[in-house]
Amino acid sequence: MHANLIGLGALILVAGLLARFGRRMGLPTVPFFMLAGILLGPSTGGPVAFDHPEDLDMLALFGLVILLFHLGLEFPVEQVLGSGKRLFWAAGAYIGINIGAGLALGFSMGWGTKEAFVIAGAVGISSSAIATKLLIEMRRLANAETPVILGIIVIEDLFLAFYLALLSPILEGASSAGELILNIGISFGYLVALFAVARWGARWIGKVLDSREDEIVAIIMIGLVVLVAGLSAEIGVSDAIGALMIGLVVARTSIRERAERIAVPLRDVFAAIFFIAFGLSIDVGAIGSVIWPVLIAVGITVVTNVTAGLITARLFGLNQRGAANVGLTVLGRGEFSLILATLALGAGLDERVGPFIALYVLILAVVAPIVAANSKYLARVIPDRLLHDRWRYVREETISTACTHLDRIQITETDEDECKECVEIGDTWVQLRMCLVCGHVACCDDSTNKHATAHYEDSRHPLIRSLEDGDGWQYCYEDQSLVREPAGSSRS
Amino acid sequence: MGKGVHIQELPGLGTRYDIDLRSSNGERVSIVVGRDGKRHLYVFTSRSDEPAAVVELTEEQARKIGAVLGGTFFTD
Repeated sequence: MHANLIGLGALILVAGLLARFGRRMGLPTVPFFMLAGILLGPSTGGPVAFDHPEDLDMLALFGLVILLFHLGLEFPVEQVLGSGKRLFWAAGAYIGINIGAGLALGFSMGWGTKEAFVIAGAVGISSSAIATKLLIEMRRLANAETPVILGIIVIEDLFLAFYLALLSPILEGASSAGELILNIGISFGYLVALFAVARWGARWIGKVLDSREDEIVAIIMIGLVVLVAGLSAEIGVSDAIGALMIGLVVARTSIRERAERIAVPLRDVFAAIFFIAFGLSIDVGAIGSVIWPVLIAVGITVVTNVTAGLITARLFGLNQRGAANVGLTVLGRGEFSLILATLALGAGLDERVGPFIALYVLILAVVAPIVAANSKYLARVIPDRLLHDRWRYVREETISTACTHLDRIQITETDEDECKECVEIGDTWVQLRMCLVCGHVACCDDSTNKHATAHYEDSRHPLIRSLEDGDGWQYCYEDQSLVREPAGSSRS
Repeated sequence: MGKGVHIQELPGLGTRYDIDLRSSNGERVSIVVGRDGKRHLYVFTSRSDEPAAVVELTEEQARKIGAVLGGTFFTD
């Protein structure tokens, strides 16, 4: 049996120490894991931990599988579905602009079609881990734009599954357009099948997995995850998607919380090995030839993110500060870019793709936290007209309401204490609602007649408030959200 | 939840509870209960979005503080 334990241990130790050094300076961990691989790799001068990086392949692949499994496992399905249409518009704009610009960049570099798709994904999909950590460290969890930022990056995670489903057949190559379309069809069909399992089959999977002992749960679970990932790769869909989807399945079973607890330490260690292994494969000599494309890509990413931030701010009625924070917090690139880079390496694409993505991730790792922390300077130069036309908050203040229709409020008090329409037909009601545009008083949705909602459908007056004593809430039909006075602001 | 507590989901991170203490001068407290069990306590003493204090608590610490605040914790 041949195993280079000394090399492996040294690599992981150096990666951990480098990452700790980075964390002290507020930098993300993933790029430092990769850096450890680059520094101790065979192509760099100095000590070499691994002469044959392919010895690490099995561990690295396991890391990739666990990383995506955990992503699927903790995907907050309910929170995302419950957050309304606007979030999907915002995320769609974010993804569309970033992937679109990434494709344009990829094709204009002239490395090839497959390469262009890999680069589009690598520059287009941000790192949720980096953005989440940044929000916590910058003490912005209480900000108005934070739920929006988190919502966008979570939807991006889901988009990753679709992008991988599209990318794997493209990378695999096909002799004709028909075959390619067929392969993409198979890929998406497989995705849909796994979604169906997640939706209806989770109970059965849960039965297989459930055991009183964590040890048994861990082993059966990991076996299942690796098997599904392997089968997915066999079918021609990437192993990464298989892992992500089985994560979504397990998330719907009764053992979800235990599974998360078991998966986290495994993910931490093996995902780090995956990032290190990617670093090992990077030829430092090749980095010089990609410096300019990388710098251009970084510039484009900053511009597309700020643009997407402005669109999001418009959608959600955020002010300049919110727009700048949305655009600049989601700038970090990490795990997903490296996954795509690894796919490119595996498919034998242009050798420059690996160093390009490595350098791109490293530069953004340093740039993103600095830029995000200084978003207020960007906020100062965003003109009012780019945001909501009737914006009423001062530029620096980040707190806003989630509703953009507050300017339509005409009337807030009434003496009416009955639903006239119900009285006419001799019916009763549960609670009363009042239209804030015309003062119409009608019964709520728990009542049989739902006259308040009917009034909205007739008149398109978006806002109602509860007339119950002490309720004090307003609801916006257009934005499908509860509205309250913005915290810390009595301006309205 | 009780009146005056605003609940906000933070996708992937947890749930945020905003409690206005004195809205006239912006005094408010935000508590983020993370999925990982961690609690982030934000205290604001003015209308600015810059918190006066942020404390990160483990589940155990949060329970302790909660018990003291709730008046159920005492010795002798």
